[in-house]
Amino acid sequence: MSAVNARLGSVVPPRPRHWWRWIVALVLAAVVVAVFLALPVAWNRLGDLPGEIVHYLWLMFSSPDWSKLPEALWQTWRSVAMAWIGTVLSIIVATPLGILAARGVGPRWLQIVLRVVFGVVRAVPEIIIAIIILSVTGLTPLTGALAIGVSGVGTLGKWGYEAVETVPGGAVEAVRASGGRLTDEIRWALWPAVAPAFLSFWLYRFEISVRASAVLGLIGVGGIGDMLTSYTQYREWATVGVLVLVVVVVTMALDALSGAVRRRIMEGSPIRDLAGQ
Amino acid sequence: MTVAPPPRPRTWPRTLAVWAVVAVITAIAASPLIGIDLGAGFGAIGKNWQNGVTKLVELFQLDWRILPRTLPPLLQTIEMAVAGTAVSALLAIPLSLWSARLTNPWAPARGIVRFVLNIVRAIPDLLYAAILVAMVGVGALPGILALILLDVAIIVKLVAEAIDAGSDGALEAGRAAGGTQFQINRTLALPDMWPAFTSQTLYVLELNVRVSAVLGLVGAGGLGLLIDEVRTFFHYDQLAVIILELLAVIVILELGSSWLRRRLT
Repeated sequence: MSAVNARLGSVVPPRPRHWWRWIVALVLAAVVVAVFLALPVAWNRLGDLPGEIVHYLWLMFSSPDWSKLPEALWQTWRSVAMAWIGTVLSIIVATPLGILAARGVGPRWLQIVLRVVFGVVRAVPEIIIAIIILSVTGLTPLTGALAIGVSGVGTLGKWGYEAVETVPGGAVEAVRASGGRLTDEIRWALWPAVAPAFLSFWLYRFEISVRASAVLGLIGVGGIGDMLTSYTQYREWATVGVLVLVVVVVTMALDALSGAVRRRIMEGSPIRDLAGQ
Repeated sequence: MTVAPPPRPRTWPRTLAVWAVVAVITAIAASPLIGIDLGAGFGAIGKNWQNGVTKLVELFQLDWRILPRTLPPLLQTIEMAVAGTAVSALLAIPLSLWSARLTNPWAPARGIVRFVLNIVRAIPDLLYAAILVAMVGVGALPGILALILLDVAIIVKLVAEAIDAGSDGALEAGRAAGGTQFQINRTLALPDMWPAFTSQTLYVLELNVRVSAVLGLVGAGGLGLLIDEVRTFFHYDQLAVIILELLAVIVILELGSSWLRRRLT
């Protein structure tokens, strides 16, 4: 080894010195400390926090009030229905818009307009969208569905044009070469290539919508969020425990179901055993 | 010799079945009796739309006088987002290593962390905030706690997936050299994990600004408190200013974090 070193001179490069990393780390640490000092939080009370949280968890889950279960399930169903309608609405609107916003499909000005619209909609939280439209639609579940629909157009539109832009140009060129117009290109070249991804996006967006619909209840459009806020305000923790359990179970079940379908769509059917034939 | 083309696969029965299921669920969800009564919803629109449209028009008559009042809550929203991100990033480092297959070969421990975090992820952010406000009182603290719960679950899931997607060559070398799992994780897995970890943490910071802006709607501090006040009085001209401000902050943050992410990877 030393012989090799001697022959090549100093082969061992100097250890890289990442002094700028230390500067970045120090600046970050300073910012975080400043933020913690600036926040109006009584940090000395933090020690009691774990005890308090355990206390409230005990109140919530030691003897849940199961008599509220039927109503909780009914309100959850209303939330899920809100999420479903909203997702369907956003699919209907976002699918054509998303395809048109892709590079090479729609006109350039339309691409820019649509992308800005998608971006703005994605940046505004659902609950603010709901606050804006409730002056027209009132405090009804329809408001929740519409808010989810509008918000879904932002996400589905973005995912849509990104997926369309990954399609290789060959199929589109082939359709164009055989005399197809834009509608033919979309129908015979783009749609078959992106359909699985789109279906998967729709299901994923539904999962997001289910969570959003629970949150929208907070402003009073109905559903499980509405019920949860009222019982939290009455401090009926035994009922709140039941509601939290229902939210967790329903959300996880829907996620699992939609996740299984998404995997089946994206990865295809399990390989069949042909040896038996 | 002619080769007969294979028969066209018959996919229409399945497609039809899928659309039928979707249509049935939609019909049930939209039926007045057992779904969300769309009829009543459209009725409300019919009653409200004249009043509502004047409100919506107000959105475009920005009332900039509220701007000075929005700055302290906006600053608090950003502070909450930074504080939440910092704490959850620290918590997420050990938990990510703990819940990835390559860095924690013991399946039961992995399973427990993943299961708990799946449950945590199933509850939406604002519901946490609503419950935590009732527990620890109004203010920034419940908001930060809600953000931490949400963020840890997100960072750990994504970083653990990134660790597992990487190659295990270096880790195996560490094991062959007789390192304990802790030594292997600290010297070999941790440097590998940094890019994924930093990029997810930046993503979570963006998400936190968006979320903490509305956490105040349930009393958890920040800009949401002001949004709640403005919306109760239907001051849509002021709401529009707040939304624009929020949009500006989010756009700046996204530009900054995408620049950083390009530098880091």
